[in-house]
Amino acid sequence: MTARGVWLSLAVTGVYLFLIVPIVIVILAALNAGNYLAFPPQGFSLRWFIRAAETEPFLRSFLFSLKLAGWVTVLSTVLGTMAALYVVRHAARFRDLLRLAIVAPLQFPAILTGIALLIFFLATGIGTRGMRALLIGHTLVSLPYVFLTVSAVLAGFDRSLEEAARSLGAGPLTTFRRITLPLIKGAVISGALFAFITSFDQFPISLLLVSVGNTTLPIQLFDYLRFSFDPAAAAVSTVSVLMSVAIVLIVDRLVGLQAVSWSAPR
Amino acid sequence: MEVLETSSSGRRAAIRRPATGLLILPTLLLLLVFFVVPYLNMVRMSFLVKPSVGAYLPVFTVHNYVQAVWDEFHWRVLYRTFWLAGLTTVLTLLLGYPLAYHLTYAPPRRKRWLLMLIISPLLVSVVVRGFAWLILLGRVGLVNQAVHWLTGRELILIGTPAGIVVGLVHVFVPFMALSVAGALQNISPDLVQAARSLGASPWQAFRRVIWPLSLPGVQAGALLVFVLAVSSYVIPILLGASNIIVMPMLIVQTLLDAFNWPLGSALSMVFFGLTATVVALFLRAMGRAMRWTRA
Repeated sequence: MTARGVWLSLAVTGVYLFLIVPIVIVILAALNAGNYLAFPPQGFSLRWFIRAAETEPFLRSFLFSLKLAGWVTVLSTVLGTMAALYVVRHAARFRDLLRLAIVAPLQFPAILTGIALLIFFLATGIGTRGMRALLIGHTLVSLPYVFLTVSAVLAGFDRSLEEAARSLGAGPLTTFRRITLPLIKGAVISGALFAFITSFDQFPISLLLVSVGNTTLPIQLFDYLRFSFDPAAAAVSTVSVLMSVAIVLIVDRLVGLQAVSWSAPR
Repeated sequence: MEVLETSSSGRRAAIRRPATGLLILPTLLLLLVFFVVPYLNMVRMSFLVKPSVGAYLPVFTVHNYVQAVWDEFHWRVLYRTFWLAGLTTVLTLLLGYPLAYHLTYAPPRRKRWLLMLIISPLLVSVVVRGFAWLILLGRVGLVNQAVHWLTGRELILIGTPAGIVVGLVHVFVPFMALSVAGALQNISPDLVQAARSLGASPWQAFRRVIWPLSLPGVQAGALLVFVLAVSSYVIPILLGASNIIVMPMLIVQTLLDAFNWPLGSALSMVFFGLTATVVALFLRAMGRAMRWTRA
């Protein structure tokens, strides 16, 4: 390796450490037996995980976030896949325009979208109680990921199998279910996982649309951190970190991260 | 549907057309009702009167804009917000470019692992990442302990602009790296080979071939990072310890705490307009720079 290569490797290693170390620290802090978030850790223990699970607001918001993210995933996956099918295959003149419109919620500052939605929901009397408002807000920013991953696969899709099925007498729905869906399954699942994590981690939109009794985990964690600072928060964070890592591993297995790296959530 | 299948293909195509439209219809409705209309409503709200009791009166006024623009404090907050985001963008480029370069020319098997290392932090919640830096940069944190051990002095970054910038850079490096890597991937190795065989040193080949061709990725990454950094909320609150106010905080306070929707909307519009202006100026400057490097 040349001297320049060595320098580049060193610099790059530094950047990777900068990216990864803080996240590892959170996990170590959660496993710390001591009372404070101090280093070095004072022994290993799972007691902060138990404490977090016994903290009612954490448990409740965790379950609420799971339920919300579940519904957001269903809605975004169905609508996003349908939209991708239309834009890639049927939209003629408006293809680029539609593409821009569907990813627009990612280009607008999410906090402003949250504010616009809050004012809209309150002014129209739809309100922000329950899950409805959050479901809509999260779907706006999760659907684009399904759309992006599925349309990437559809763009390089060989349609001769579908044509064969159609000419053998299969209807459009049967063709979709038996031929198209199995072929794009990896992309649909990857998009769904991205939609799930986008909703589960969503902050700016949730900040404005949560209501009493319907708080999501990130908002709960944020409120907690503003007033207390203990390893229970690290335990909650660790759960969120593990979820993200699991999703990265699954998506890598299904379609390869290379294929979706440009559409990874923000 | 079954009947349609047996008819001639020409007729089938004619009848199928409205059915394919149904694929996009729900998404378009969602965007129209819950994205376009709320934003237009916010524009309208910014021109309405805030009464002493209640949310708003449907009476036209430009008072909110006067109030938004006529306050020196607002300008200080705006300046700070843009400055922090600008610095973050530059630093993410400095860290993200080498990362992207290294990733692009890594052997495929290692590339897969490196991509995982870049995308995993991207999927971790911003709140968690802010918390991670709270642990690291606090009084008993690793950074302060190391600095104390080395120099005998304290280095506490929580509550300072530097702390906020560290957190923001951590959040946005992956965006920049992926964006630049996308551009680098499209550069044909033959071009570099050609430059080298014509006598260019590796550095010259980078400066004259790779760097200019990667500028579109740099531009896309910088835009993305700047726009997201300007509107970030969690990191400035957590790492600024609520001392350092940025525009999104000011807008949320005006809306939720002061319950002033018209002024909050006007501030949002001013913020939005200025961000768009900065982006437009940046695009123009980049356009010039790209023409210049090509010449």
